[in-house]
Amino acid sequence: MQSLKELLYKIADDQLILGHRNSEWTGFGPLLEEDIAFSSMAQDKIGQSYALYQILHDLGEQAPDTVAFMRNANQFHNCILVELPNGEYDFSLIRHFLFDTAQALRFDMLAESSFQPLAELARKIKGELRYHTLHANTFIKKLGSATTESINRLQQSLDFALPYALGIFEESPYETELIAEGIFAGEKVLREKWIEKTEDIIKQTSLHLPDWHTITPITGGRLGQHTEHLQPLLDEMSEVFKIDPAAEW
Amino acid sequence: MKSLDPRVNRLQPDVTGKSIAPKAALDQFGTFEVFVQPKDGKPFQHEGIVHAPDLELAYVLAKEAFTRRFTCTSLYVVDTRDVYTSPTTEGDQSVYSLIEAPLATNEVKTSYEIYHLLKRGKQHLHAGTVEASTPQEAMYTARQKFGTDKTIYNVWAIRTNAIRLTTPEEKDLWNTLPEKKFRDATDYKGGDKLKSFLERSS
Repeated sequence: MQSLKELLYKIADDQLILGHRNSEWTGFGPLLEEDIAFSSMAQDKIGQSYALYQILHDLGEQAPDTVAFMRNANQFHNCILVELPNGEYDFSLIRHFLFDTAQALRFDMLAESSFQPLAELARKIKGELRYHTLHANTFIKKLGSATTESINRLQQSLDFALPYALGIFEESPYETELIAEGIFAGEKVLREKWIEKTEDIIKQTSLHLPDWHTITPITGGRLGQHTEHLQPLLDEMSEVFKIDPAAEW
Repeated sequence: MKSLDPRVNRLQPDVTGKSIAPKAALDQFGTFEVFVQPKDGKPFQHEGIVHAPDLELAYVLAKEAFTRRFTCTSLYVVDTRDVYTSPTTEGDQSVYSLIEAPLATNEVKTSYEIYHLLKRGKQHLHAGTVEASTPQEAMYTARQKFGTDKTIYNVWAIRTNAIRLTTPEEKDLWNTLPEKKFRDATDYKGGDKLKSFLERSS
């Protein structure tokens, strides 16, 4: 049970934190149409985190709002990548591409999970994730081959983001148990699939990937060890909720 | 913050210039026409346009710009320049009375999607598909095939292979849309909540 909860928390926390980060672009997107699309996907992520917190609630954890708004940074299991500030749009796009590629593959694997509620959710949100990766891949392919400025910006952001992206696959203490019980095939398998997919898209652009062995993953997020960027995000996200936690919305 | 969207920056007129100069060309992307199928079995209808650098990005951006709220089953986009339009008529005159027979050609025929405007101010609706070698021939063929008793005010002909269609695998893009009540303003029942709040506090 602990292994399952840990898995659910880390996926849900990733979606919540990145959903919030991406929503910070609302009103500031580079194009009206893109502002709408990026905001919409941010909403999807928060919706997906809600569904996962609901599954956790059914397993005896506290209600989704309490779990989302009342924990401190060191109780969050998200990877560091998703909590980093938005920076410029090139970084947000690269993070969206690297993270959503992993998330879509993760849910593809979870569609086969022996834990039915998770398998059902994975099948249900397949179309949402298909759009997120279509959006990311189309933008990366376009801007990754467009002008010197767009290629240089994306390359710099890619180089910066890759160590954090590998942190997505920080292994859980319960990895063997999850695999043995058929709940999730494990971070190692996911990482291999992700590398293959990422290479497939990047090679269609003028961007390049370094040798994977030269990158040291930045980990700790899954254990609650975060950067100074997470707590201010949580404070802002929960500001209204904390004024009156019992309010009905 | 200065927007990266040139359309937004243009909202601020340049009041510092003193000399008389020709109006500069607009720095913005081209337009793409967006068509949505609201339900299986229903015809596609024209919804509007998006600005985009190419056809694929137009599809990606149109998906959220036009289909994030109401349920639908399919979407497609086409470059505005690939939409051939007939003249527009008024009153009882159907536009098909103006479409003349094309000159006979030996060119290879290709498929065209035909759209009708049945009421001024409404959206163009998909009428069907015809085979033709030119847009004019497509409209003439459409006149024989779909030129019904209804008055049609305007016709569009779009080469099918110019369209970015939704692929069969992408049909699941809208699967969770019916559950996204948070995008429907009426679902918040703001009026009811305000009323009960006022009753409680009076």
